[in-house]
Amino acid sequence: MPEIKVTPLGAGQDVGRSCILVSIAGKNVMLDCGMHMGYNDDRRFPDFSYITQNGRLTDFLDCVIISHFHLDHCGALPYFSEMVGYDGPIYMTHPTKAICPILLEDYRKITVDKKGETNFFTSQMIKDCMKKVVAVHLHQTVQVDEELEIKAYYAGHVLGAAMFQIKVGCESVVYTGDYNMTPDRHLGAAWIDKCRPDLLISESTYATTIRDSKRCRERDFLKKVHETVERGGKVLIPVFALGRAQELCILLETFWERMNLKAPIYFSTGLTEKANHYYKLFITWTNQKIRKTFVQRNMFEFKHIKAFDRAFADNPGPMVVFATPGMLHAGQSLQIFRKWAGNEKNMVIMPGYCVQGTVGHKILSGQRKLEMEGRQILEVKMQVEYMSFSAHADAKGIMQLIRQAEPRSVLLVHGEAKKMEFLKQKIEQEF
Amino acid sequence: YRDLHTFELQAPTRLIEWARGDRVCVAGYGQSDGNEILQLIPPPTLLTKENQGLCPERDFKVECGGFSERPVYSLKYVPDTSLLVTSGPPDSSLQVWQVSAEDSDVIKSVSTIATEDGTGQSWAKIATISARAPWVLHGSRLDRVQITEVESRKNVYTTTSRGSEELSNLAFLDCNTLLLCCATGRLCLADIRQRQGLVEAVSVPSVPCSEQWCMGTRHGAQGLEPSYHPVARLSSRGLLTLTDLRKTSELLALGKVRIPSPGSGAEFLCVSWAPALEGYLAISGFDGTVHVYDTQSWDSSGREAEPIFVHKGHAFGGAGGSRDPPLVTAHTWHLQKPRTLLSAASDGSLHVWDWVQPCSKC
Repeated sequence: MPEIKVTPLGAGQDVGRSCILVSIAGKNVMLDCGMHMGYNDDRRFPDFSYITQNGRLTDFLDCVIISHFHLDHCGALPYFSEMVGYDGPIYMTHPTKAICPILLEDYRKITVDKKGETNFFTSQMIKDCMKKVVAVHLHQTVQVDEELEIKAYYAGHVLGAAMFQIKVGCESVVYTGDYNMTPDRHLGAAWIDKCRPDLLISESTYATTIRDSKRCRERDFLKKVHETVERGGKVLIPVFALGRAQELCILLETFWERMNLKAPIYFSTGLTEKANHYYKLFITWTNQKIRKTFVQRNMFEFKHIKAFDRAFADNPGPMVVFATPGMLHAGQSLQIFRKWAGNEKNMVIMPGYCVQGTVGHKILSGQRKLEMEGRQILEVKMQVEYMSFSAHADAKGIMQLIRQAEPRSVLLVHGEAKKMEFLKQKIEQEF
Repeated sequence: YRDLHTFELQAPTRLIEWARGDRVCVAGYGQSDGNEILQLIPPPTLLTKENQGLCPERDFKVECGGFSERPVYSLKYVPDTSLLVTSGPPDSSLQVWQVSAEDSDVIKSVSTIATEDGTGQSWAKIATISARAPWVLHGSRLDRVQITEVESRKNVYTTTSRGSEELSNLAFLDCNTLLLCCATGRLCLADIRQRQGLVEAVSVPSVPCSEQWCMGTRHGAQGLEPSYHPVARLSSRGLLTLTDLRKTSELLALGKVRIPSPGSGAEFLCVSWAPALEGYLAISGFDGTVHVYDTQSWDSSGREAEPIFVHKGHAFGGAGGSRDPPLVTAHTWHLQKPRTLLSAASDGSLHVWDWVQPCSKC
């Protein structure tokens, strides 16, 4: 009886960080190496001591696989490879390889330069880490060594996100990372063939959720933006890395065009500009519709959206600004937030999950008086809205994936449920 | 609209039931095995009375679920217990389930309340009332109506009647009086303290061809006083009658609602009173819409009535063209928010909507 051992080093039942160790037929693979955004100390990193007790990481692990560029999946990678010590291969898709270092550097800058932390990786470490990365194509079988092979499948969710099949002889495991079974404005839906793995490790973020339709969500988002802009207010949208920002840009651009709106929309410089560049570069990773319209005009070349300059935040009149980082924990979005918070005509729309401890989380919990650095109190009079656009598979989607892959067993991770009995029975019933 | 939220269930439901703690229950009615009963926690945005502060979550959460071998056509919670009862073809028996959301998220099948199976029995209609928990009123035909104590499965009461018409709805009017509506439109009252025959109410203006009728009674009024709110009856051809049970010799009001033709049958006909708006009711089951009417100005002339509001969302939801347009299978009013309704359709959609009172014509 083949034995496959799975050890979560974070994200077994925690949405904070993903890092899963899989032992299959004598091979050891680390799936994702994420950082927990809510902690400011070493708790943000996965606990590697579990593996290091077995000796040197490079000897113990056969490879590391990173599913996508979200920091809760790759944020601890440079720490792991350069500070804890790992010299083996790290696999990820091409877009992930291109975008990861940007996000890591951005996060490093904020954590170290602005917050002055010391136990953190350096820019050089990020570069050294990325040198160990081997980029893979979709559906390309990669021979890690004589016995171990891996293959990436399209996962939707964000640009470059992949599900990975890990095969040793006739035993195999499929790890989904984060995925989405319904296409959106800029990405397609996840897909896998009938590979019949022994084990399918699937994320279950929305397993017990019945989601509001996207159309309603979008309609409400546009309504709020429109109302604010109409009354002369400013809208701040802190964006969470790159994925959703693109989606919202397309949405706003289309809306602005249709309604003939004149208020300026800005995209904060640096991070997201580069991101747009990469999206254009990796156009084959986007969905059919974008590829088709790309022939006529580049979906990511926006007519109404311009690059932001810090000085614009003081301009009078309405505007919409996309700024990073997404949880208002530091950087440009926080700076703009501080400038605009005092005016009730303005609005901030949080487009995603905010980890506890961040300003984003505080204002979403209803706090209206925030203590900033130097014991300054910031009174928040601007409207605070939340609109979740993150793309994860729900129960229906998880069932669909299971039907596609036909695994012998299923392991659900990256979810909040203490109670998964119903879903478990549902899966058992069907197969 | 003031608000509209659309959701998609994995399988369509033909019932929407409110449960303790603002929970909502839906269930599948497909022919094959594996129908799910889902108890959902509505999004916080739905639960707040006004738009107070921030409600980050807009989604329904599945709190617990169960699997039913037969299609679930009707479901009622048994008040003051952790049980619920379902019914569905092929016979008129009831299935009893246990919901224990704190311990596990599975709704477990507990027992069955069997009934004598005649030939061609259809599925049982169910009703409960909190003043008489843990009793359940059920039956598929006029002469086979029973009240059973759920936990012991003991029979407490059975109707006696010479008629054997199929029932479309039944309800507890108060803790001693039952109101039964036949598919033919005949309304009957029964006093469970007496074992005599049934008292008949006024019959509807007859149209010989087969019209199917269903009824709606007002929720609330769970006290010891009988509810004096009029009973509404809706026919598959669009006739809507209001009857005051204190004066059953004549109709209180009669109106005609606009329905599409050809009609789509009476399987999902549904009429319900608004719990918080006097005289308002909603109807559905003719097509992909839900109509809201204000019956306060109605008389007995049978004139065609104008709806105050029409929810068309389900009709537009579908994938277009290829399939039959979706049919609204169920609707219900929110118990506190006066203008909020939930509706479900045959394509699996579940909508929550809040309509704006149109300005009165002056």
